[in-house]
Amino acid sequence: MEEFEPKIVAFLCNWCAYAGADLAGVSRLQYPPNMRTVRVMCSGRVDPVFITKAFKQGCDGVLVSG
Amino acid sequence: MTQKLLGLAGIGAERLHLAWVSSAEAQRFAQVATDTIESVKTQGKFDPGAFALELNAAEMTLAGETLRWMVGKAKTLTTKGDIYGRKWDAEKYESVIHSVLEREYHKNLILCAIKEGCTSVRAIGKKIGLELKRISYLLADMEKMNIVAFQGMENSIPIFAAL
Repeated sequence: MEEFEPKIVAFLCNWCAYAGADLAGVSRLQYPPNMRTVRVMCSGRVDPVFITKAFKQGCDGVLVSG
Repeated sequence: MTQKLLGLAGIGAERLHLAWVSSAEAQRFAQVATDTIESVKTQGKFDPGAFALELNAAEMTLAGETLRWMVGKAKTLTTKGDIYGRKWDAEKYESVIHSVLEREYHKNLILCAIKEGCTSVRAIGKKIGLELKRISYLLADMEKMNIVAFQGMENSIPIFAAL
């Protein structure tokens, strides 16, 4: 059986983590491809309801990063 | 708080991660991403169908005004004090929020169970696995708030309906 690959929704702040993720891409750092990124203008924009919604739609984990 | 609620709902607080990464920290971001994925991997697959009731109740709790009000007032109440000038201890306030969170979540769980057609206390208990005493207690509270209504007796079992 192949290894379980979780689906993760990542809410990234445009100014912090998203830029960090971008830089990680530019500098060719390797990280697993399981993340589906949602860019928000601030991590304060993330409502707890977004998180339950993500779980409802069947994702396995959520990362909020700012 | 959302993590606590996910833990309470049996979904697992470990499925939600929170991390601060600055724009210059590409290395750290890659590390956070790897750690999150590893942690969720150990949790295994999440089946939203099996947790539909819990997810609905959790969403209603998080969207409800009680908790939003309490979180919004936290800063004022712990630094400036309430209208009587009493300053709340941050830890005490946290524990109050936690108990309100649990209570609101259980209430919403009961409401979801009633909407799914469980009308007696026993049927609700079977559906959501909560203590019967706690359900009766919360039902009485929900009745006062006009969320549920007592519909009368059926074979000497009290029947409830959602409003």
